Amino acid sequence: MAHTITAKTPGVFYRKPSPDAEPYVADGATVAEGDVIGLIEVMKTFREVKADAAGTVATWHVADEDEVSIGQELVELDT
Amino acid sequence: MAVETGEAGIRYDHGGDEFVYAEVSTAMSLPAHFTALAITRRLAQEAIAGVEEICPSNASYMVRVDPDRIHPRDLVRELRRIESEVGDAASADPSFTIATRIVDVPIMLNDPWTHEVLMKFRDRHQDPEGTDLDYGARINGYDTTEAFIDALAGSPYLVTMMGFVPGLPWCFQLVPRERQVEVPKYVRPRTETPERAFGFGGAFAVIYPVKGAGGYQLFGSAPAPIFDAAQEQPDFAENDSVVFFRHGDVINFRRVDEAGYDEVREQVAAKRWRYRTAPVEFSPSRFLADPDGTNAAMLEALYS
Amino acid sequence: MSILVRDPGLETTVQDTGRFGHYAIGFPPSGALDSFAYHVGNALVGNAPGAAGLEAVYLGPTLEFTTDTVIAVTGADIPATLDGEAIPLWESVAVRAGQTLAFGQLTGGARPYVAIAGGIDVPTVYGSRSTYTLVGMGGFGGRGLAEGDELVPGEDAVAPRAGRRLADDDVPTYPEIAELRLLVGLHSYRLTPDSLERFTDTAWKVTPDANRVGYRYRGAELEFVPREQPFGAGSDPANVTDCGYPVGSVQVPGGVEPIVLLQDAVTGGGYATLGTVVSVDRDRLAQTKTGDRTRFVSVDLDEALTIRRDRAAQLDRIRTALS
Repeated sequence: MAHTITAKTPGVFYRKPSPDAEPYVADGATVAEGDVIGLIEVMKTFREVKADAAGTVATWHVADEDEVSIGQELVELDT
Repeated sequence: MAVETGEAGIRYDHGGDEFVYAEVSTAMSLPAHFTALAITRRLAQEAIAGVEEICPSNASYMVRVDPDRIHPRDLVRELRRIESEVGDAASADPSFTIATRIVDVPIMLNDPWTHEVLMKFRDRHQDPEGTDLDYGARINGYDTTEAFIDALAGSPYLVTMMGFVPGLPWCFQLVPRERQVEVPKYVRPRTETPERAFGFGGAFAVIYPVKGAGGYQLFGSAPAPIFDAAQEQPDFAENDSVVFFRHGDVINFRRVDEAGYDEVREQVAAKRWRYRTAPVEFSPSRFLADPDGTNAAMLEALYS
Repeated sequence: MSILVRDPGLETTVQDTGRFGHYAIGFPPSGALDSFAYHVGNALVGNAPGAAGLEAVYLGPTLEFTTDTVIAVTGADIPATLDGEAIPLWESVAVRAGQTLAFGQLTGGARPYVAIAGGIDVPTVYGSRSTYTLVGMGGFGGRGLAEGDELVPGEDAVAPRAGRRLADDDVPTYPEIAELRLLVGLHSYRLTPDSLERFTDTAWKVTPDANRVGYRYRGAELEFVPREQPFGAGSDPANVTDCGYPVGSVQVPGGVEPIVLLQDAVTGGGYATLGTVVSVDRDRLAQTKTGDRTRFVSVDLDEALTIRRDRAAQLDRIRTALS
């Protein structure tokens, strides 16, 4: 089964908490529901993107620092 | 392209359906400001229906208009009439005076707080190697930064515009053109400016009422608040206002050292800070005829 | 009697028609960015015009009502629910004590508005209940709502009633590319004729830097006419001697990213402005979001005034129909 996490707001998507930091989740990592998987910056604020299902990170549909729109698919999880 | 001097007359334009913009001159000068001042004072007296807000600025002014009450083109016609009636009376007619006040504003130049911030943003500055004061001194032809500081604090300023954010005064120094300081703004604006920073951009000194972004050169810091949302200081409470300055105020920036700065901060902390002020009758024509004499008389009124 | 904020959304603020009369000392008007959605909301719930309501952006708030009331959700296309049951937009809805209003994922527009019978009782500051977050004044404590806040309904109800519905023809639609009509002028002479043409030819993209202060766009580069800068302006070709900015005016710092100033913007400064978006179209702008495309269409003053009159007549007609 697959589950796709989508953007709830538009903005700039970040996989890392800061430019020099490690990504919140590595490829192939396992995430629990509620885990932070990235940030979206919009209106000069950063909002955490949380996994709304548990699973392992399968495919990223966006790259770090991509501009995303509401409802855009961010990452696919194998659940 | 030649620079317009303001002798060519006022240029009017519409800022959408709700604003009318009137540009006395593209360049800043005291006569241009005095014309804008005289016209906006007259406009306020006439209380024309549909004139909702009058915003005098440095070498221009702006009116917020209710187009349901007066057609913006009819308003421009009224403004032209006032322009022709007032003319250059503000600068030429000795009987034109402004009842205002002179305010003592302590200021610490080359202070540690703005210094810390400006050093963080050298990559956005014209001169990444120096400080904003060193740069300002050099491009204005001063041999030393100290001489530049003396000039900045050496003569009073006129508040020629309020705005940007609530309470911010744009201050134009009351000295002849050849003694006026001019500096560019930052190459790219800072994302940070401390509250009460004393900045300079173009030909204008400002105090930032609240912290925020900003592009003016950072020269110093004022210890006393100019914006007080809670109206805790007596000056603000008694006037039932969150801002201290008014358009047309004359400001004397008085240099203080760190001890003088701390002394004011203590009074602010105790909620008993008061600005020293004195009423003055400012005559543009008298000032233009004798700038230093007029300034000396106002300072005498303030400190005697 | 209160409304409990369970989740504030992204930035939800109390707004009314705005704070007027203090522009000259630097107070922008604030107030609802989409004034049509705001006014219709008040008309639907039976409030006096000018009652304070809630403006959200992208994400709606989750609100629990501890009292029976009437509400209306207007503005953006967004699924709204009461205790999980879908409720219609642009229609007044009865709410029972204990029910919770929540929102799903927005599908069109950007800003949902929630009107509540009676409005929202926050102190008037300088003549308005609108929130101006930059200096922390007005609205609910001068800030956006936070989890746990309790809002108290106001006393601006005239005839609260559920079941009032805006006619379908009056419900705005949010097109793929928003068209904003503007009056070119102010310092438009500072831009080359080519650049001015490019400004209206370009389908500009809304950047992430788009909020109640202003909207910043990307899409083309604009060039200034070279000149010897006038005294007082500063050396950058984008600079003019600092002057007042009309609400809705467009500036182009650096020539690359035009900014439309909105209701929480700075009231003046030293950037050349190339024109002003007509007041009615700030409503359209308020319903665009980061990533959306926007085109600027040049109109003259007479057209701008006609647009304004048509909107006023439409609102009058709607208010009469709903009263």
